[in-house]
Amino acid sequence: MKNVSTSLALAMVLVSTTAANAADQALIDAAMAEGQVVWYTSLIQDQAVRPMVAAFEAKYPGITVEAVTGKSTDLLLRITDEVKANSLRADVHHGGGAAQTLIAQGMVAEFVPDSAAAYPDDLKDPAGLWTAHVVNFLVPAYNTDLVDEADAPKSYDDLLDPKWQGQIAWAASMTQGGPPGFIGTVLGTMGQEEGMAYLTKLSEQRIINVPANQRVTLDQVIAGEYPIALCTFSHHAEISAAQGAPVKWIALEPMVTNTVDPIFLLAGGPNPNAGKLFIDFVISDEGQQVLADAEYIPANPAFRVGGVDASPAAFTLSPSEVGSHLNDWIKVYDELFK
Amino acid sequence: MSATQLAAPAETGAEARRPARRKAANWRGRGWRVRLPVFAVTTILALLVLPPLVILVRTSLTDYSAPGDDLTLYNFTSLFADPLLYVSAFNSVLFAALSTLLSLIIGAVVAWIVERSNAPFKRLAVLTTVISLGTPAILYVYAWVFLLGRAGPVNATWRWLTGTRDNLVDIYSIPGMVLVEGFLWVPLVFLLCSATFKRQNADLEEAARMSGANVFDTVLRVSLPMAKPALLGLALFIFIRNIEAFDVPVLLGTPGGIKLLTSDVYLAMTRVPPDLGHSSAFAVIMILLVSVLLYFYGRVSRSADRYASVTGKGFRPRPFDLGRYRWVGGAIILLNFLLVLAAPLSAILWNSVTPFVRPFSIAALSNLSVGNYTQVLTDPYYLDMALNTVIVATAAATVAVALTAVVAWFSVRNFPGSQALEHLVSLPIVLPGIVLGVAMIQIALRTPFGLYGTLWLIVIAFVIRYMPYGMRYAQPGVMQIHRELEEAAGIAGAGQAGIFRRVVFPLLSPALLAAWLFIFLLASKELSIAILLAGSNSKTIAVAMFDQWTNGQAGEVAALGMIWTVLMSCLAALMIWLTGKDKKSEGTL
Repeated sequence: MKNVSTSLALAMVLVSTTAANAADQALIDAAMAEGQVVWYTSLIQDQAVRPMVAAFEAKYPGITVEAVTGKSTDLLLRITDEVKANSLRADVHHGGGAAQTLIAQGMVAEFVPDSAAAYPDDLKDPAGLWTAHVVNFLVPAYNTDLVDEADAPKSYDDLLDPKWQGQIAWAASMTQGGPPGFIGTVLGTMGQEEGMAYLTKLSEQRIINVPANQRVTLDQVIAGEYPIALCTFSHHAEISAAQGAPVKWIALEPMVTNTVDPIFLLAGGPNPNAGKLFIDFVISDEGQQVLADAEYIPANPAFRVGGVDASPAAFTLSPSEVGSHLNDWIKVYDELFK
Repeated sequence: MSATQLAAPAETGAEARRPARRKAANWRGRGWRVRLPVFAVTTILALLVLPPLVILVRTSLTDYSAPGDDLTLYNFTSLFADPLLYVSAFNSVLFAALSTLLSLIIGAVVAWIVERSNAPFKRLAVLTTVISLGTPAILYVYAWVFLLGRAGPVNATWRWLTGTRDNLVDIYSIPGMVLVEGFLWVPLVFLLCSATFKRQNADLEEAARMSGANVFDTVLRVSLPMAKPALLGLALFIFIRNIEAFDVPVLLGTPGGIKLLTSDVYLAMTRVPPDLGHSSAFAVIMILLVSVLLYFYGRVSRSADRYASVTGKGFRPRPFDLGRYRWVGGAIILLNFLLVLAAPLSAILWNSVTPFVRPFSIAALSNLSVGNYTQVLTDPYYLDMALNTVIVATAAATVAVALTAVVAWFSVRNFPGSQALEHLVSLPIVLPGIVLGVAMIQIALRTPFGLYGTLWLIVIAFVIRYMPYGMRYAQPGVMQIHRELEEAAGIAGAGQAGIFRRVVFPLLSPALLAAWLFIFLLASKELSIAILLAGSNSKTIAVAMFDQWTNGQAGEVAALGMIWTVLMSCLAALMIWLTGKDKKSEGTL
């Protein structure tokens, strides 16, 4: 009896792996019949969105991708308004904060792409609502003209050094990729009590709230406006350093923040099959390569530059954890840092 | 006739008004012939302005932290529950008042020098205005951060000279914010004041000079009082815009730890999901405050006859001879050019030729490159967006100017049934861009025809947003035209349509052309609405710039900004040249 179930499971695995190589023909046919897919995305236009659209359209001629780009908050507003007016235009969306808001309102459809089979479990939703397509490491970065490598902070405690008072900036973005994510990491690694004590001390450093996103904040560090910024993306510092900018990121000890960016299918979108096919493509080897070429950190570990070993030791904020705690972290931010 | 009125406004104003209004009702006619056009325009305005307003009130009564359909006063109570409300309210009023004052002083002085005196470098002032209007705001603010920030050349030089680690200027302070916001509005003040001063009757000034008044006395006691309704309306307008401004208070205030009324509103909108309730409640309160201010403004503009200076007599104004003060006028124009245009533009230029954002330095000179420019110019993607932008801006400017010209005429001349017009057309100034954008989404989603995601939706939103700006040009313009000209046409047998087309419109055209250009330039760089309403095929250049900006391509954005600024300046120059051939609108700018 046990043997039967094992072979059955094996057979299922076999079926799913063959499907991973090429998306289900039935799905492709259904997607072809729809003819287009609408993708609401806040990925970078020219480096990621357009190459992704081109690659998908080349692989599936006959299906066009309408990419509507914008800030994640704006796109979320549009989706909620479209749903309210009963005329949802979007099929596919992504993003940590958006995923949780939309799941809570029942706007996300269950879909596990075949190509996600190879992904580790923490990059997939247990309930099958999303799959990670990009990950990020939130790290401090410093201007190498203004700060010597020896003086740069190495650990969380180093950030409390009085010499950094009024010198540290961060992007005042209330997302998992901003101060709330940092707070979540501190509380997660140090524990609630010790973590709060640490954050209280950190708030006495008078962290400068920069009203922009992480990339713009990093640019201000590069320009010399602030010597150090917390919560910047490690790959941004690397891209700029490669162009000669005086910037370096720090693998803060013991662990930096790791966030995942989930992609998902919207419930009740106009082109559900093309939407599924598109998500499957983004998660597949081809899609992950496009993201790697765009200098994002692809979710599939096999496509990360330098492999997984090149990644810093990190505390992962899973989308479900972000969903249940983000507002608590924002509250801490409002009390201590606003 | 107008001269007597102006010389002794206190005595004649009150009596002149009442019989004049009775007469207006008589000779303009009665019944549907007069009422119908007014009614039609009111309907159009109401259709444009009221739906977003209703949606605004609804959003202000929605609690975004607890989704549901119930209406609540939560947003209003939380707005007033803020313990720092008085501090931020004080900061906001201080910031708005000082910035308004700064832009008014610079703009009006330069406009007077250009329009009414024989100072040199007049063309430079026009150039400054046109080019700085064409420069995208996001670049403008960051250019000032770049110049006056901690790493900027001013502070770097100071540290180098004194050997200290302290900075000379702190741009993240109220004075810093006032400086940037003030400069931001100088072009508008300049354009509006030019339109006013251009048509001021020089007879009075000359009379004053002949009676022995010096230049300053003449300006103070004759020129300025004549421009009072225009200046007051302008000041009110800019003050409202400054009170509800987001960008400068947020971009400079937040890092400096200075809280203004709009800082929290902005923060609420950056959260996921964005909390629009907070900003809508704020906008509703603003509407109430603005209505009070508009009421007082209305009292000034109602006595319009006192300020009419374009009469049946020859009204070509003659320049004022400044005598030995000519060079002072020239120096002011030059200073205006340096501060409002040359300094920020050179920062943008610098950023566009450096591979990454870095301070001015000799060392950096060795690796300047035009890479950013070739990147922008070889990307065919930008061409579509440029075309979209020109279409949207042209359509929005044309419609907004046409509407406001008619509205201004109806309301200044007190057409029967025109009382609501001025209010309707002015209301959109209190709608924050993002609130208007969201309202337009909700409206478009409910229209049967496919408006959503198209360029036309953006055009409609822009018309609503920029109507108040058009009104700021058209209303003082009509006020300056004395009614006697229209009465003469009426006696000669012209109907109201004929009077508007052949008397009012030609005399108003310099103001209207200036308004058109202003709205065109502003609409072509508007971001908050365009980014929210853009579909995949209806993006504008400002949206593209924002995309690239948030993506760390500050250099490419700067290059795109420089190219765009040049393009817009050429368009503006072309327009000035075209209209320059037309004698009626001679010297629009």
